[in-house]
Amino acid sequence: MAALTVAMPVAGATMATSVAFVPKGCFSIVAAARMAPIKIKRRLSVVVKASPKEDIKDKIPEAIAEAQKTCEDDPTSAPCAVAWDNVEELTAEAAHQRDRNKANSDPLETYCADNPETDECRTYED
Amino acid sequence: MAAMACTSAASTALSTPRLAAVKPARSARPVHLTSAFHGQSVASVSQVAGFESSGVKYRSAGRRAVVVCKAADGQTVVIGLAADSGCGKSTFMRRLTSVFGGAASPPKGGNPDSNTLISDTTTVICLDDYHSLDRYGRKEKAVTALDPKANNFDLMYEQVKALKEGKSVEKPIYNHVTGLLDAPETIHPPKILVIEGLHPMFDERVRELLDFSIYLDISDDVKFAWKIQRDMAERGHSLESIKASIAARKPDFDAYIDPQKQYADVVIQVLPTQLIPDDNEGKVLRVRMVMKEGVPFFEPVYLFDEGSTISWIPCGRKLTCSYPGIKFFYGPDTYYGNEVSVLEMDGQFDKLDELIYVESHLSNISTKFYGEITQQMLKHADFPGSNNGTGLFQTICGLKIRSVYERILANQKNAATLQSAKA
Repeated sequence: MAALTVAMPVAGATMATSVAFVPKGCFSIVAAARMAPIKIKRRLSVVVKASPKEDIKDKIPEAIAEAQKTCEDDPTSAPCAVAWDNVEELTAEAAHQRDRNKANSDPLETYCADNPETDECRTYED
Repeated sequence: MAAMACTSAASTALSTPRLAAVKPARSARPVHLTSAFHGQSVASVSQVAGFESSGVKYRSAGRRAVVVCKAADGQTVVIGLAADSGCGKSTFMRRLTSVFGGAASPPKGGNPDSNTLISDTTTVICLDDYHSLDRYGRKEKAVTALDPKANNFDLMYEQVKALKEGKSVEKPIYNHVTGLLDAPETIHPPKILVIEGLHPMFDERVRELLDFSIYLDISDDVKFAWKIQRDMAERGHSLESIKASIAARKPDFDAYIDPQKQYADVVIQVLPTQLIPDDNEGKVLRVRMVMKEGVPFFEPVYLFDEGSTISWIPCGRKLTCSYPGIKFFYGPDTYYGNEVSVLEMDGQFDKLDELIYVESHLSNISTKFYGEITQQMLKHADFPGSNNGTGLFQTICGLKIRSVYERILANQKNAATLQSAKA
């Protein structure tokens, strides 16, 4: 089934209408999505392609460099404190993400969190 | 009858299925379900339990539409936790929610960068969501996130008050990844609301709403050691940059965050150990739990004899410990003008025996059965602090919060039955 990506502006085919196709739980993907109108069998459909989420790890070295630059002149100034506060916020978030990924690494655990009554997930405590 | 404050919500997060789920042993604990139907008279509260458990059974429906009604008299219990380590995902929070049973997870189907955690009984709100300035706004105005100018205390007060009264709120989301304020999410009033962040006790009106408050006070040396462990793995970070980061935030921290210590009911201080001279690794810790006297529904933990001063080294003939051992201290003190009792633990546990031995000698720990603290600590043996005072005191705090919650609830029920008897 060949799907043609036709880059033609279609009047009235607003991006907003395609939100209905997006499954529940894809909030951020919608926010960062690129939509391309394509033609399948003469009816216009919209394909949602998710663009890669910004990685927080990449932001940290930049933030540190910026903080060091801001603090060169006056280490006690307010902009210096704000810059380091940013670094702290980003590193804290990166650490949380690391912990979360570690916690979610076992597929059985994530499955059982949602379905505790299935056979694989029953626990017996006496 | 203005009794009912009901909100209808198609909410998967209020996981009613779990309550009817196959964990029969768990039903021993008082299962307070989220749907409390308030009828004509409050005296029917005990019958409500029966209604609820049958009402819960229809969990298998594809779309779970849960009608959540909060009894007008059943107010949400609000706990405040002041901590500098970010929100909601901290070890303390995980231990706390574990004491109540059930794992806390972000609201399903919502913004994946949400900071909120929801479990069966507890909802944890991150106070960063009440930032009035996002990252770019703060940079522009040159204020750190620690500064009260960057936070909207009016909104915080309104929403915590609304949740306490049993109304749902639309709470903004502060996205830590992008640094922007995202679209709000709906928060339904839970049984226990925990507000965690930098300023839970800063605003006086919010302070009045808190039923119990905890301040996590990490000393500078320990903070430095922990940040090294946490951040050295990141590219671009070095020892100097970590030092600079802590030093740059210190003035604002001391001015705005630190003073909240005096208002907390429990302060957990984490200090470097005194058992190992010149230790700078921060692995062995001395942890002090400073408990305010005279807090309603809260009885401080004590060792052997309440109000006396005890110094205790459990290791000896009955118990053999490895280096550096364990040392306890308990005694009365004053803290910022308040009468307090201090329980202190220095050292590390490395065997199950030590843990259960210590637990059997502590009093007023609000456990429901012998060995509950040990069980909780073992359940989360992989969490940081599981072998020292941080884990022990965080677990004890969790149990204390549970006891405060149950006593507040019992108190409300008594007051209500009294009222309906008079009516």
